[in-house]
Amino acid sequence: MTETAVRERQAVERIVLEAFGALTGRRGEPLRYAMMDDTPVGVLGLAAGERGLRHLSFVRDEDDFLGRLLAEHGDVPVLRSAALDPVRRALDAYFAARRFDFGVAVDLSGVPPFHRRVLNATARIPAGRVATYTQIAVRAGSPRASRAAGNALHNNPVAIIVPCHRVLRTDGSLGGYGGGLPVKEWLLEHEGARPRTL
Amino acid sequence: MPHATGRASQQIALLLAKHGEELARHIRRILRDDDAAQDVLQDTMLRAHRALPALGALANHRAWLYRVATNIALNAVRSRTRERAALERHAAEHELAVEPHADGHDEARRATLWAQVARLPERQRLALTLRIADELDYEEIARRLGGTVAAARANVYQATKRLKMEVRDP
Repeated sequence: MTETAVRERQAVERIVLEAFGALTGRRGEPLRYAMMDDTPVGVLGLAAGERGLRHLSFVRDEDDFLGRLLAEHGDVPVLRSAALDPVRRALDAYFAARRFDFGVAVDLSGVPPFHRRVLNATARIPAGRVATYTQIAVRAGSPRASRAAGNALHNNPVAIIVPCHRVLRTDGSLGGYGGGLPVKEWLLEHEGARPRTL
Repeated sequence: MPHATGRASQQIALLLAKHGEELARHIRRILRDDDAAQDVLQDTMLRAHRALPALGALANHRAWLYRVATNIALNAVRSRTRERAALERHAAEHELAVEPHADGHDEARRATLWAQVARLPERQRLALTLRIADELDYEEIARRLGGTVAAARANVYQATKRLKMEVRDP
């Protein structure tokens, strides 16, 4: 992007943020979002703060996603922004099976500590491989907490990039998935990992 | 400006989130002035919020918002032109009053005065502008800018006084 374009975007954003403050009382670090309307796994909503991606969600449409963002982040400005274009490109490359590593900063600071440990352990499962809920609980430091680990994965705010779809039941069955089981199955096959009985 | 509360605030937040960036870019290109663009965006949002019950039936909020934003921005351009003309008139009268032997350097003096107006504290600059360019009474100025009628009067007075002083003694 040219310097002029960057300056324009900053100026434009200041105008929008000022309006947020004056009209809605929402101030502070903004949350920027973008949509991906036709991916192989449906409509995706993305949102990022200054420190990285905070949401990657399966949603019905933009209003659905935006409604959730505004409700969950009640104090800060939320705005659609081209700043997320690199993340969208990384996801496009992933869906085109060109690369399975994203190189995208993820910000899990809004997640409770145990959940964060579970998600960090999950982030280390490479594409094409799977783990079980129990293994993830062990790697998160709480071997007996496989149910809680499942819960953490169910509430994963950054789907796909934090690959909770790579976590299965001990018997090899799919378990659950926020985006629906067909999506979980699609992602695993796409990455070349077939769910099988261990 | 008091914040919209509750549902109203949510609706405005939604409109701003979805359309704020593209509208601000559009408005800014018309006005070439970030402060003015800010006012126009906020006006557009408030108008949209008031129109929402009727807008609900419209399929395309985006087209509606663009149309309204463009209208308000163009009005702002027009009133800016008017404001400039009125301030120049004011300046001319002013200079005649303080400097009866006006010489031929009108333009240079006008430019100086313009720079001085721009340097006025914001409340004074706005109050003076509303008084001179929009020919509003003090009550209306107070309503637009917030604050009391007495404060509006004082701001216009201070602005005028400061300009006179600087014109006399640059």
